[in-house]
Amino acid sequence: MLAIVTATIGIGVAFIIVLLIRRDRLHVTHGLGWILVAAGFAVIGLFPKVIDIVARAAGVSYPPILALTLAVAILVIKILLMDIERSRIEARNQRMIQRVAMLEAELRQQQKSTAQGKTR
Amino acid sequence: MSNVSTPSSVAGASDTVVLIPAFNEAACVGRVVENVRSHTGLAVVVIDDASTDNTVAVAEAAGATVIPLPAQLGAWGAMQTGLRYALRKGYEIAVTMDADGQHLAQTIDQILAPVRNNEADVAIGACTERGSLLRRIAWVLMKSTSGLALEDVTSGFRAYNRQAIGALAGWRATLLDYQDIGVLLLLQHEGLRIRDVSVEMCAREEGKSRVFHSWLIVAYYMCCTLLLGLTKRTMLTGKRATKPC
Repeated sequence: MLAIVTATIGIGVAFIIVLLIRRDRLHVTHGLGWILVAAGFAVIGLFPKVIDIVARAAGVSYPPILALTLAVAILVIKILLMDIERSRIEARNQRMIQRVAMLEAELRQQQKSTAQGKTR
Repeated sequence: MSNVSTPSSVAGASDTVVLIPAFNEAACVGRVVENVRSHTGLAVVVIDDASTDNTVAVAEAAGATVIPLPAQLGAWGAMQTGLRYALRKGYEIAVTMDADGQHLAQTIDQILAPVRNNEADVAIGACTERGSLLRRIAWVLMKSTSGLALEDVTSGFRAYNRQAIGALAGWRATLLDYQDIGVLLLLQHEGLRIRDVSVEMCAREEGKSRVFHSWLIVAYYMCCTLLLGLTKRTMLTGKRATKPC
């Protein structure tokens, strides 16, 4: 039963990702990562023995903990990458706001000097 | 009060600009701008951090050039806007001061002197007497974690030469939130000479500090600042911060 649920989640997530990319709600580079995660879910759901084989090869005595550890590690890396990207966007956004403000200041000065020229 | 300037007393006034970031400072900013202009004759630029009162109109009426930020960037974001503007307009020296009346226009020449005489790239107007118990504890923690040996690391009353303006106008400084530890460590990392200059300061005329008025905000500010100090300090590859200049 658990295998079916996990596989369904994987396939469902993959379907949603494809839909989001199709509707331009998700950039294809982000979608790629999530498709891989969804594929991982589906594979583990449909073939749970895969985890047992990998765990045995890695010397892990309790296979489910390997799946959980990998999932947590992937999530942590993903969140960290998101924060790095957010920091970059924040900096770019801040510099654009600064630039707009400087240009507005120059525009105001020009308008002021033009108005003063007209009154003379 | 010592060293009171007259309007023409600041030599080379045309290459120097005074930058004043302001957020809802309509009650004080006009007086501050007028004081600076009458005591120094320097160009004054007010960076309005998306105020909701009439700070812009008051500052303009007092004779300042106003840079109106379309979204609030915080104290350092506004200050960096002013520094970028100074760089763009070709100013050689930028003096930064608060809009709340704490920093005295009469003491601008005191912090300008070491920069003009090429004794320092950055001069900080220091007034350790103004520190409350909370602020003093913060200073000790900031200095011990960052390794900076300056007296007043949180003072916004500073003079920067063109080299320092260039360093602070860049991308690396954009993600900083405050003008204290991060900014000073960046300047130090660039090999710039920083000097404390003891000056007199007033208690703020109106409003309250954006940081030192709430324990919760102070706690958040301190966590960010101490982390910044520790991380940047370790990245100074053996450059153990000594007393600059």
